[in-house]
Formats: sequence, C-alpha cells, structure tokens
Amino acid sequence: MTSLEEIKSFSECIVSFMGPDGYPYSYPTNFTVEDGEIYVGKSSLTPRDGRVTLTFNHITPLPSGGYTDRRYVTVKGVASDAGGRLRVAVEKIYGWDEKKTPFPEYCEISVPQSRRYVEELVKTYGPKARPKMSIPSLLFRSTRFPFLVATATPVLIANMLALYAGRFDPTLFLLTLVGASLIHLGLNMSNDYFDTKLGADNINRTPTPFSGGSRVLQYGLLTPSAVAGLFTLFYIAGGLIGIYLAVLRGPIPILSILAAGVLISILYTAPPVKLAYRGLGEIAVAVGFGPVIVLGSYYVQTQELTLSALLASIPIGIFIALILYINQIPDAPYDLAAGKRTLVTRLSREGVINLYKALLAVSYLFIAIPAAAGLAPPTAAIALATIPMAAKTVRMVRENYGNPYMMIPAMGANIRLATWTGLLHALGFTLGALARIVAA
Amino acid sequence: MVNADEVREVLDGALVSVLSYDDGSGGVSSHPMLPLYNPENKKLYFTSSILFSRKIQKIKRNPKVSVIFTGRNFIRASKYHVVLVRGDAKIYEKDLHEGWEWLLSLWRKKEPYIDAFLKQRIALPLFWERAVIEVTPAETLVWEGGDTSREPVKVML
Repeated sequence: MTSLEEIKSFSECIVSFMGPDGYPYSYPTNFTVEDGEIYVGKSSLTPRDGRVTLTFNHITPLPSGGYTDRRYVTVKGVASDAGGRLRVAVEKIYGWDEKKTPFPEYCEISVPQSRRYVEELVKTYGPKARPKMSIPSLLFRSTRFPFLVATATPVLIANMLALYAGRFDPTLFLLTLVGASLIHLGLNMSNDYFDTKLGADNINRTPTPFSGGSRVLQYGLLTPSAVAGLFTLFYIAGGLIGIYLAVLRGPIPILSILAAGVLISILYTAPPVKLAYRGLGEIAVAVGFGPVIVLGSYYVQTQELTLSALLASIPIGIFIALILYINQIPDAPYDLAAGKRTLVTRLSREGVINLYKALLAVSYLFIAIPAAAGLAPPTAAIALATIPMAAKTVRMVRENYGNPYMMIPAMGANIRLATWTGLLHALGFTLGALARIVAA
Repeated sequence: MVNADEVREVLDGALVSVLSYDDGSGGVSSHPMLPLYNPENKKLYFTSSILFSRKIQKIKRNPKVSVIFTGRNFIRASKYHVVLVRGDAKIYEKDLHEGWEWLLSLWRKKEPYIDAFLKQRIALPLFWERAVIEVTPAETLVWEGGDTSREPVKVML
C-alpha cells in the first residue's frame, strides 16, 4: 500500500496532463505535502480539466551502470489554482518500492496481466505470439531437473552398499538410475499439475528456484494437457525399465517396490489422497527416496533385502525429506491458504527449526550406529563430516526464516547438505568395499 | 542557446525517463522507463516486458505520448537540460521473444551487465518477453540548464 507520506522522501515531482493538442505534457517541479494535499509548481501550460498525474521517481544510477534503490509513486488527482502553485487533491495513489515488494515478487504479481495480453495477441498473430523457451530450457525448468540429485544419491548409496556386499553390475546400476530418475521427473511434473489444479501454485507470489513449483503452467509456457502428457510419459518409461529389471532380477520384490514408489509419487499431490495436503508429504518423500529407492536398487544388484540396506536407506530418506521440508517454508502462507497443510504449516517457527534439528540428529545417528555396530563399514562414518555444514545450515534457515528470497541461500545449503552427506555415505561404502578387496 | 547535439546527448545519456500516455479515460498514466535513443533514425525506443503490458494496450488505443528526461542524477551528459519529447508511438509486438533484441546494443551502453541477466532469462522468462515502443518525436521542448521557471524552447532533433 502506497501512502502520501512516502512521497516526502522524493526530491522532485513530474506533473503530467493531457495537452490541448492531444499529446501528454509533462514538466518537473518541486512540491510540498500539506494537510493531505500536494502543492506543486506551475508551468505556462495548465491542465484544462484539472486532471493531473504526478510521478515521483527515484532510481539511483550505479557508477557501473544500471540502478539501485528502485521506487516510484504515482498520484492521480485534480489540480486547482492556489496562488503561485497548483493544489492537487489526491484521488488515487500507487507505486512500487523494491524494498517492500522485491522485483521477482513484483513480476509474479503481474503474471495474470501478461497472460491476458498474450491471449489478445494470439487472436491477432496466432499461437506463435505465445512466450517461448527452447525445448532443453523448457524441459530443464518444467521437470525441475537439478532435483534429480535426490534420486541419484540414494541409488548410488544402494549400489555402493551392493559393491561392499561384493555384488555390483554397472549396467544394472545405470538402468536403475535412469528408471528411478524418470519416475522422479514424473513426480515433479505431476506435482506441478495437481498443485496448479488445486490452487496452491497459482496463489504463490514468491516462488524461488527451490519452491513454488516450476511455474511453467502459471507462465503459460506449457498447457496442463502437455504437462499431463509428459508426466504420463515419464511414468511409463520409468515403469517399463522397472518391469525389465523385475523380469531380469526378480518380479515380486522389484514390482512391489516399483509399485510402492510410483504410487507414493502419484498420491503425493493427486486427489483424492493428496498426501502433501494432509501433512504426510514429508513422510511419503522420506519413504520414497529412502527405503523404496535404496531397497529397490539394492535388490536389483543383490537379489536380497538386508537390514544393512534398510539402515542405509533411513538417513538419506530423511535428508531428502528435509529438502522438501525446508523448501516448504517460503510456500507456507500460500499452502495454508490453499488448504495444503504441510508439516511446516502445522508448526510454529521454533517447532519447525527444532524438528529440523532433531531429524538431522536422527539421520546422523543412523549413519553412526550401523558403522559402529558392524552393520556398515566403519568408513561409512565419513558422512558425519557434514555435521558442521548441518550446523551452519540450521543457522542460515533460522536467520532467514520466512523471507522467501533471503532463504534462497539457506535452501541451497540444505540441498548441498543432503547431497554431500549422501555422496559421502556412498563413498564410505565404496571405501569399505575397496578395503575388503585389498584385504582379500 | 541550447543546441540539438546537447539535447541528443541528454537523450543518449539518460538512465531513466518518464513515459506518459492517455490512460483511456482522458487522464494520463506515467511510468519511469529506460530510454534508448537511436541517433541514426532520431527515434526513441523502449522495451516493455509483457508483465507490465497494460501501457502497451493503452498506447495502441492512443499512440500520442510524451517522454520527459529530468533529474541531474539520472542523466550522464556534459550539459544538463530537462527535455520533453512529444511524439507518436508505434508498438512492435509480433515477436516478443526476439523482436526487441536488436536494441541490445543501445541497452548495453546504459546497463553494461544486461547480457549477464539475459543469460539467466530462464529464471524470469516472462520478463524477457518484450514488446517495443518506438516514439517518433513530433516536438522537442527543452528547459535549458533544467530551469523550469523559464519557458521551454523548441529544438529540432
């Protein structure tokens, strides 16, 4: 909300009105604010009907080029003669101050206007007038491709654990990785599709690279049917690889795990179950990216399910769920408004941080105890090296909690924490395997 | 006496100007915008993201516009003058994706890091879908030295 008080911080006012020749006329002048009215200097030309627009602009150029401290206020009103000045009775006041509304949010608020404008253009120029993005960029954005580390890491842990158990086939590893990744891409796109359909993504005005969805539907870069088509394709392709692996390595366990994975990923946001809307999304993700992927990948290599594999799946499952958990903090007000009752929306700020710390501690315990108890090689404890990184990430989350844009580094740090811990855990199993080979 | 070269220097050196147009109800809407002056055809250009496209729709209905260059801090020129360009606008909106990119050489002079932003266009895709507003000056009024207590003088660009 822009107030009259704000214009006092500007040094100059531009008075504009429609000139008698039909062209707008403008001039800069000084101004004062007195009793809710604005007094501005006169020029030789005055508005015939008294209607004026005042622009207060503050855009400070930087020596390197460009601007900083961007803000402006526009006042619309009616001017009348007040001696040597014009008195402007304010009718409407609006503007933008990037300190109050950061530029990305300002852009997001304006998306509906751009959609209306494009629809008008399409009537004149056809569909070619729509916003464009190269196919690789569009796929990168719509699938939220970088999040595939959340699949690659547990697959790697399972395969390195299999290596430690003395059984590793690189072809099976690649097939598992590609299959699981395709299902993850399907999950990301179906999540966008249903979050848009259920309204949670539409009302989000502060999306970030890590939260608020891919926005391809909100921006009109893809149609809902195209997104539905793509996620169906990803699920089918991932499912076919799963079925192939099941035929190759053991139908019942692999098909059961595959079915569980696909079901969790679809029911995550799809009605009527929509786990994420019922505070069960984090658990679903922990199970899906932990035991489901790790046990499934491990079984593909070893054709057995072990306690070691189950224990190895727990920390990575929690870490991946914590990516979602922290990324939901900026979305919380919009999720709440859309009835998406994620865990974050159900807890206080302190509650969210405390649960975050507790779950990190549990994850590290599930790395340390198996290593100490002989259920994982001692080298698996190398993953504990990220504890200082975890402490720093908790501080970052706490300090920037609730500010979507200030939280971006914290969300990034949290993803790096999960990735590095997972990769070090996998490295720990690899080193254990190498030690066994050397000892033999 | 102010000369056309000094005025062109103001247009070329301004980091911001204020574009005004008919708001559709007989009043005027005004927006601060980055002006791009092309000395070859003596026209002013603006690019407008489709996110902020309301002005495009209004200008299409009434193309008579004015652009004011004011504020010593906003203008890099050897001599400061306040300049008001009044003219006729034409909108180019057929190719929002690339149709404005020919203006990048002019834009780069004012915002040298624009290319770095452009490389990240995937992050703000709609911001980089842009229409072009071309203003052909009909009249240029200049307040010499920025002294608006005096009458502006007309200058032919």
